[in-house]
Amino acid sequence: MRRYATTRLVQLVAIVFLISVLAFLLVHLLPGDPTVAILGPNDTPTARHELLAQLGLNHSLPLQYWTWLKNIVRGNLGASFLTKQTVTNAISVAAPIDLELIVVSQLMAFAVAIPLALVAARRPNKIFDRLATTSTFGLLSFPTFVVAVLLVLVFAVEFHLFPATGFVRLSQGLVGNLKSVLLPSIALAVGSVAVYFRLLRADLISTLQEDYVTMAKAKGLSTPYILVRHALRPSSFSLLAGAGISIGSLFTGAFVVEVLFQLPGIGYQLVTAINSRDYLMVQGMALVAAIAYVVINFVVDFLLTVLDPRVRHA
Amino acid sequence: MGMTDLRARRYDRRTFLATGAGAAAALAMAKVGSPPFLDARHTPGIGTGKPRRGGTITIGTTSEIDGFLPSQSHFDATGYVYANTVYDTLTRVAANGTARPYLAQSVTPNSDLTSWTITLRPGISFHDGSPLNAEVVVANLQAIRQSALSGQAVRPWSSVQAAGDLQLVIDCDRPLVSLPVALATQIGYIVSMAQLDSNDTQHPVGTGPFKYVSWTPNDQFVVERNPAYWRSGLPYLDGITFKPIIIDTSREASLRSGTIDLMVTFDPYTFTDLRNNPNFQVVSDLGQKTGQPTMGFVCLNTTAAPLSDLTVRQALAHATNSKELVKLFGAGVTPVSSSLFPVGSPYRPAHNGYPAYDLRKAKQLVARAAPRHGGSVNVALGTVPDPRQIEIFQAIQNMWTQAGVNVTLSEVQQVTYIDNLVTGSFQAYADQQFTANDPDINYVWLSDTTASGPIALNFARNSDPQIEAALQLGRTHADPATRIEAYQTVDKLLARDIPYIWISRTVSMMGASNKVQNFANPTLPDGTKAEGFRGGAFNTSQIWLGA
Repeated sequence: MRRYATTRLVQLVAIVFLISVLAFLLVHLLPGDPTVAILGPNDTPTARHELLAQLGLNHSLPLQYWTWLKNIVRGNLGASFLTKQTVTNAISVAAPIDLELIVVSQLMAFAVAIPLALVAARRPNKIFDRLATTSTFGLLSFPTFVVAVLLVLVFAVEFHLFPATGFVRLSQGLVGNLKSVLLPSIALAVGSVAVYFRLLRADLISTLQEDYVTMAKAKGLSTPYILVRHALRPSSFSLLAGAGISIGSLFTGAFVVEVLFQLPGIGYQLVTAINSRDYLMVQGMALVAAIAYVVINFVVDFLLTVLDPRVRHA
Repeated sequence: MGMTDLRARRYDRRTFLATGAGAAAALAMAKVGSPPFLDARHTPGIGTGKPRRGGTITIGTTSEIDGFLPSQSHFDATGYVYANTVYDTLTRVAANGTARPYLAQSVTPNSDLTSWTITLRPGISFHDGSPLNAEVVVANLQAIRQSALSGQAVRPWSSVQAAGDLQLVIDCDRPLVSLPVALATQIGYIVSMAQLDSNDTQHPVGTGPFKYVSWTPNDQFVVERNPAYWRSGLPYLDGITFKPIIIDTSREASLRSGTIDLMVTFDPYTFTDLRNNPNFQVVSDLGQKTGQPTMGFVCLNTTAAPLSDLTVRQALAHATNSKELVKLFGAGVTPVSSSLFPVGSPYRPAHNGYPAYDLRKAKQLVARAAPRHGGSVNVALGTVPDPRQIEIFQAIQNMWTQAGVNVTLSEVQQVTYIDNLVTGSFQAYADQQFTANDPDINYVWLSDTTASGPIALNFARNSDPQIEAALQLGRTHADPATRIEAYQTVDKLLARDIPYIWISRTVSMMGASNKVQNFANPTLPDGTKAEGFRGGAFNTSQIWLGA
């Protein structure tokens, strides 16, 4: 176990290093000159020269990267060219939004998908299974932005139960906070429910055909007990792997929901920064999002080894 | 607002057709009377009864700004609203369109309008307690002069010097009629010496009705009442939270759900949703009789072939059916435009000679021009990636294609879009410009002196000495008749040169819940009515909450 963990940690560090290089180079691959965006009508040769020197853009790429890396280690990710907001501050504003959206939406998704899959897998191709499969397939075909707009129209505009936009921080009150994340979380959860249900249902059906399940039935154990205690754990590998990818991608993939609900999360800030060629903001946000993705998947891999010891020996 | 238009396009991805529609509908509503929920004497945006002090509101804005320093930051409509909240200008525009002293007690020219003496109101303090005096105002204006961004607007200024504790003099190298109006724009906001010295774009310290509390870009800007505000009794509200909500439907849903109390919009569909709803008030700047609104048009690069060929530009003008575009996309209420100036403006000539829609003539002109351009006329038409804007430009593409022009339509990211405009790396781009209280404020966008070089604020790069002469006449003569003739000449020359394919007038609107009072009815210190709402910008000091 220790060896497995060490190996994965070394891999993690290597991947994070590669991510840092890519995040650094990413901005240099963007079309156009960032100094033009920054200077706008002030773009005179003198002003441009001063800006290049100030930002270090006139140095070699390796030197720029080394300076950037040193600053990151010191917790200095720079500041936005446009708003002068520090990247660290922007991340501290954005990250809690994403974290809460992810936690709430994924809890919702699991809370719906797991019971649904357990019941559906119990009698495959019967009425409940078909209904659940068809319904989740239908959910998959609903784009997130459509779900988001419908939720706002019904629960915010019509019934005034939730705010239509904005994020209330936990420090400003639990109720307000939950109300502000509920609708966007539901919008994000809808797609996940469908995916998780289908992954878990398929694995459960397969598991329920195993000999040890037949044995359990022969011993007279109740079906719910067998499903939860004997079938669920060995059937959740695909679910967990899928959740790892899904959760990681939500760090930036929630962009549409963040824009519609005006939640300045990582995805929102990243796309805004890309559109305005906000050099350091793009680097910082991309770096954080990519590292979050890798770390989440590392944790998921680790959980998989806990669930199934065979994985660590594979 | 002239200097802000460049940046405004960055955030305001509203189609110029769309932006006009809502306000036009607002006018239509005004014609049919107030909504049934309101007292018959109640005009939306104008408070009734005695103002009430206290309470806070949340305002939804259309964009986020990049900072609060007038000499460095780009103020779009949202920037102006924020600035009006924490700063004051030296002058302010009255409802009749004239500039009135504001932080200044008086703004007095010499006999030939080449020297302006500004006397400041005594006893005004910044939020940090420091006094407003000539030294800090001179420092502000010098920062403006040194700024490559705003410096172009004050090129005629030859010096700015203090002439006493509360008096300063601006000398110009030529008569400058519009100086008082210019001091009501971005260049006239005065920030504290401390903010100026520290070059702080994030933490505004002004003399305005509200004080900065916090600003989290893309999230919210929070202000609280300035208890020491120099205008006695103002502001009425205890605080305001501004939330940039860039999607129109989200902003509208926020208003309708009560998440926000007041919003700005340029979207006609938002207007049509709100206008018949008895829970909301809607006002627009369409009914304004003074100044100049934003115009929506296609900007043609007159130095890029084939658009450097006047025949091609004439063909495109004849091929563009603005009325049909407005009918298709403006809900039938957007005012069509064929001029730099709106209908009713004294500067708009009765007939400017702008080419009318005539497809047959357009085809003839294309056929005539094609041999000079390798046998066909190929034009690259660009727009920002806004779904509605793209629809409109697909329609324009079809119109031009019918005339025989090969049109390539492309979507360009906003920042690249602006870069391309200022560097001339485009052929035909969607554009919105020219909001101003005085036509001279638009000098930099139209002048011969800014039409060339690597960076050109005259985006169309239309170099016409006759236009320059007329612009100079307008900026240096105070006689109204001379100015009218000068700017009518400019309009006629633009119609002749065709650097712009005029489409429609752009109109902005405000929507508010009924509890928000007096949001479009500010007054000046002497009690006269101030300009309430223009181009999405308004003043927050005299808003109060109804019972």
